[in-house]
Amino acid sequence: MPRKASNLELWVVLAVALAVIIVLPCLNAFTPDGSWLHVSNFTITIYGKYLCYAMLAISVDLLWGYTGLLSLGQALFFSLGGYMMGMYLMRMIGDLGQYHQPIPDFLVFLGWSTLPAFWKPFACFPFAMLMAVLLPGTLAGVFGYLAFRSRIRGVYFSILTQALTYAACLLFFRNSLLLGGNTGFTDFKFILGHDLREPATQRALFVSSAIALLLVYLLCKWLTQTKFGRIQRAIRDSENRVMFSGYSTANFKLFIFILAAIIASLAGVLYVPQVGIINPSEMATDKSLETVVWVAVGGRGTLVGPIIGAFAVNAMKSWATRAYPDLWLIFLGTMFVLVTIFMPKGIIGLPAQLRALLKKYRRGKPNGQPAPVVSGEEILPAKSK
Amino acid sequence: MKRALKFFLAGLTVGLFLLTARGQESSAVREKLSRAVLADGAAQRQLVAELGDTGSGLVHDVLVAWTRDNVFLYDSGNAKIPVLLEDQTDADGKARAISIADGKFLLDAQKHELRFAPTELASADTDAALRAVIQQTLDTLALADPDPDARQNAVLKLGNSKKLKNLPVLQARLAKETDVPVQRSIKEAIAMLQLDDPDPKIQSAAAQQLAALKSIGSLDLVRALADSKTAPSEVVKAAKNSAETIGEHISFVNIFGTIFRGLSGGSILLVVALGLAITFGLMGIINMAHGEMIAVGAYTSYVVQNLFGTGFAFSINLPFHFFGHPLGFSLSLPGLNATGWFYETYFLFVLPLSFIMAALAGLVLERTVIRFLYRRPLESLLATWGVSLVMQQLFRMVFGANNVQVSSPRWLLGHFTVDDVSLGYNRVFVIAFAVLIIIGTWLLLTKTPLGLLIRSVMQNRDMASCLGVRTARVNMMTFAFGSGLAGLAGAFLSQIGNVGPSMGQLYIVDSFMTVVVGGVGSIVGTVCAAAGIGTSDQVLQQLTGSPVSGKIVVLVCIILFLQWKPGGLFSIRSRSLD
Repeated sequence: MPRKASNLELWVVLAVALAVIIVLPCLNAFTPDGSWLHVSNFTITIYGKYLCYAMLAISVDLLWGYTGLLSLGQALFFSLGGYMMGMYLMRMIGDLGQYHQPIPDFLVFLGWSTLPAFWKPFACFPFAMLMAVLLPGTLAGVFGYLAFRSRIRGVYFSILTQALTYAACLLFFRNSLLLGGNTGFTDFKFILGHDLREPATQRALFVSSAIALLLVYLLCKWLTQTKFGRIQRAIRDSENRVMFSGYSTANFKLFIFILAAIIASLAGVLYVPQVGIINPSEMATDKSLETVVWVAVGGRGTLVGPIIGAFAVNAMKSWATRAYPDLWLIFLGTMFVLVTIFMPKGIIGLPAQLRALLKKYRRGKPNGQPAPVVSGEEILPAKSK
Repeated sequence: MKRALKFFLAGLTVGLFLLTARGQESSAVREKLSRAVLADGAAQRQLVAELGDTGSGLVHDVLVAWTRDNVFLYDSGNAKIPVLLEDQTDADGKARAISIADGKFLLDAQKHELRFAPTELASADTDAALRAVIQQTLDTLALADPDPDARQNAVLKLGNSKKLKNLPVLQARLAKETDVPVQRSIKEAIAMLQLDDPDPKIQSAAAQQLAALKSIGSLDLVRALADSKTAPSEVVKAAKNSAETIGEHISFVNIFGTIFRGLSGGSILLVVALGLAITFGLMGIINMAHGEMIAVGAYTSYVVQNLFGTGFAFSINLPFHFFGHPLGFSLSLPGLNATGWFYETYFLFVLPLSFIMAALAGLVLERTVIRFLYRRPLESLLATWGVSLVMQQLFRMVFGANNVQVSSPRWLLGHFTVDDVSLGYNRVFVIAFAVLIIIGTWLLLTKTPLGLLIRSVMQNRDMASCLGVRTARVNMMTFAFGSGLAGLAGAFLSQIGNVGPSMGQLYIVDSFMTVVVGGVGSIVGTVCAAAGIGTSDQVLQQLTGSPVSGKIVVLVCIILFLQWKPGGLFSIRSRSLD
């Protein structure tokens, strides 16, 4: 991408971020109910949710769009972060649960009278946050080390990450893990001493999500412009050439895999207090695929694309589930098919694609083929190994 | 259970039986029964015991009624007549009386049927000694039942009774028994009873006999004897040895049962994964809608079953309007209303139809979506996932969100037993069918011109194209074939598991793992991997005690296995880099 356009993008993002971080919460807090300028609490929570999804989408894009690793396990790291936050929030309920016991309701239900040892430190917020970074990071590190060491790549990597997520999902559905089984955690009351149902708390969470997203965006922007970022893209386009040039591609991939896992986990941490529930269905195989689709729709290989994709697809989903509850899956599915086939560059690439079409049309050439895609898979033979 | 129910019903409907089914019982037996009821003391017990040899259902029914005080004595003035009262009572609670001696209704002087309430008549009384003899006679009768299964149940009941007095009955029957499994059961029951014999020698011999018979049912009794403090030491020793032998036999049966279930589970996995081995392994397309192809096959069997039955209908109403008319679609197919064996054959029609339907769905999918994505395998994953969402929703709209009921044909129910290992017909059928499908696929890929074309296109699409192979057509056929195999798998799963809109999702991860473990592009590898994963799944389920943790361990093992052999079991060696 030319330097100029890149700068323009940065300015636009900063302007939008400023609007989101300052203007929206102010409109929510200081305008009277019913005024046309008023932003409802509902909107704030919904957008806060989308902001977390956008972070998750960036983590997928960092892997898929920039490194060519299609991970279907990002929902796992997202949920792990969510679970760590959920454990903290569960401890904050105190004895206000239905059973009025000092331990979470589901533990009472399972017949526990004292807190299991691994639950104890989660009353401490910094510890929960530390775990939200360490646990997904370690899991990604171990899994990534094993996978990249034996040169598992391409679709095999996708399938393996999917299997990992599936196994974890089955594990979290079990009651004996003492993490709430299939109902997970819910009924949260307080975060850092503030009532979660207060609009002010929700605004604060919204603003923190927006700031976190902005920071993640800036970090990734910087990272992809360094030499590291160039190697990353080189790995995507031709891993063997990078390897023959003397780079240890496995280490680069491992680093990016861990980083993406931590970003996804942070998204989960911010997501859970805003939606008020976390359960194992968040790490079902569908969720990871859905995230990949946001990236595909927005435009992979860019950093704005995933954000746009996450907002666009989720906004459409919210609308369609209400307007056509029976048909929305069909809409969604059809959209994915059409986007993958006809818009390989996503919404971000649409103007360029249209320009190319227009050029062809002016030259009078017949045109029926989708725009060519230039990517690693295109150069290599279709069937690898 | 069946037997117990029969006992119960017999007691209730004894009068009706006398009227209808038992009408032709020989008059000698009836006469003897009547005499037995009227007799007294030792003579009566003697008569009742002799009734055991008649093997008559009537005797059984009357004796049961007797123990329940339902045999009555009618005093006609000059003699007492033993009677039974009919079940059907009139408004006054009175019923017609049937004479046991001739099976006819009692009539008064004007040839009118006599009616009595149970309280009006004296019932034929029984004492403890008589009831014991009646019970023994009933046991003897049960042991003489013409149905071997019923005999076997009676034997087991006696064997578990822990009453030494039942011994003579069993021994008498053993001498007459001709059916081999029943003979074995009788020996087992005798030995089980003899465990309580006062003579230590007989006890030890019984324990050894049970060990020789590998009697699983007696393990608890033998163990109790082995742990008993009062029994003589040589008996305890014999019992311990027997318990060990029987325990070994049980673990043998468990191991083989597990292997059998594992093999059949592996066969299901194999049939599911074989289609994927072709679309993913050979063509390199990641078809996330493969699970929905399975559902197409399963729903086909549902529809075919309904067409053989009462017919099939559905209607969809879309939330759109076209010039004021609501848009919708509905279809109603009449059924054949078949019954009996013709209905049972529906499954034979299901097999080809499910293949064809899924193959057609695959054909449409290939033409509309996948052919654009041959050079972008990762993106085929996304597009086909979209297709899978659409298909799941269509299933929900047509067949409803809940699981539908597909009944198995009767010839797939039941099981047979080999050395105490029970083999279900449907599981045996699945294994046999999986073998057939493998052979069929192998023949198609290696022995037919189409197979040659498929392999050439899969090896090098461009080169095949240069040599004049119509690659687009071959791709189409291959994909349709792979999808058709998924449809066949669906037809099977409809016999074993649930049929629902998202049933395919259950198998998709497993079948991808199977293909990856087996080595992408290798059918042999897929076969081995399916058998291996299926069996280890079952074994680990046994070891860890829960299906879910077994599955988790299997998935972790697979991930570790791929560390050791990243290309799978049978990776295709190649000098090319990627």
